[in-house]
Amino acid sequence: MSVPRARLLELMKAQCEIFATTYNPDGVRMGNKILRQRLRGPTMAKYYPPKGPSLQNLYSEFKQLGLEGINEEWEDWQEHLAGRQQRGKAPPKKKTGPPAPTKGQK
Amino acid sequence: MSMFRSKKLDIGSFLNIKVIRDHTKRKVFAQYEPERQALRYIIQNTTLPAKTRAEAQLQLTQMHCYTRPTQIRGRCLLGGKGRGIFRDFRLSRYNFRMQALEGNLPGVQKASW
Repeated sequence: MSVPRARLLELMKAQCEIFATTYNPDGVRMGNKILRQRLRGPTMAKYYPPKGPSLQNLYSEFKQLGLEGINEEWEDWQEHLAGRQQRGKAPPKKKTGPPAPTKGQK
Repeated sequence: MSMFRSKKLDIGSFLNIKVIRDHTKRKVFAQYEPERQALRYIIQNTTLPAKTRAEAQLQLTQMHCYTRPTQIRGRCLLGGKGRGIFRDFRLSRYNFRMQALEGNLPGVQKASW
């Protein structure tokens, strides 16, 4: 028992109306498959685990709650840096902006 | 490219420049993905005029290479290696073995028969 093509197309049309899909009997490429794809970016961007809180951040958080703590290591480091600054041995300022394009590179 | 790189370090895994670069590419891809998909839709839609599609093609090829998903590569979370990575665990084969033998990976055990 064969069903005429016109009848099948009618069925397809009704189906498309009901399910709100595009009626495309000739199978023309309309790129809808790209619209159906989900965005992969958010999951891909989560590949590496986020940075956890540092000791210094924890101390500053605790300060808001009225708790005090002394991060000796950090204070020592700050003193050391201040000493270096006085002796003129501090590291130079960082460059800002992207580096200038070099010759012979695309 | 340094213009895409975040000013402050925002990942807590093993760090080297390749890991930072890959992370940057991932974020840039996530940011530009809707734009890329829109262009791809225009290109693949044969009912649109040929000129529009050609322009979209040109625009897509002229986007920065960091916005391409093919630039992204899985890297080991513990060693930053780019080859021999188990995707499910995000570890290189050696680190995977070490972690598995220590029992840090739930459900993984050494085969024996």
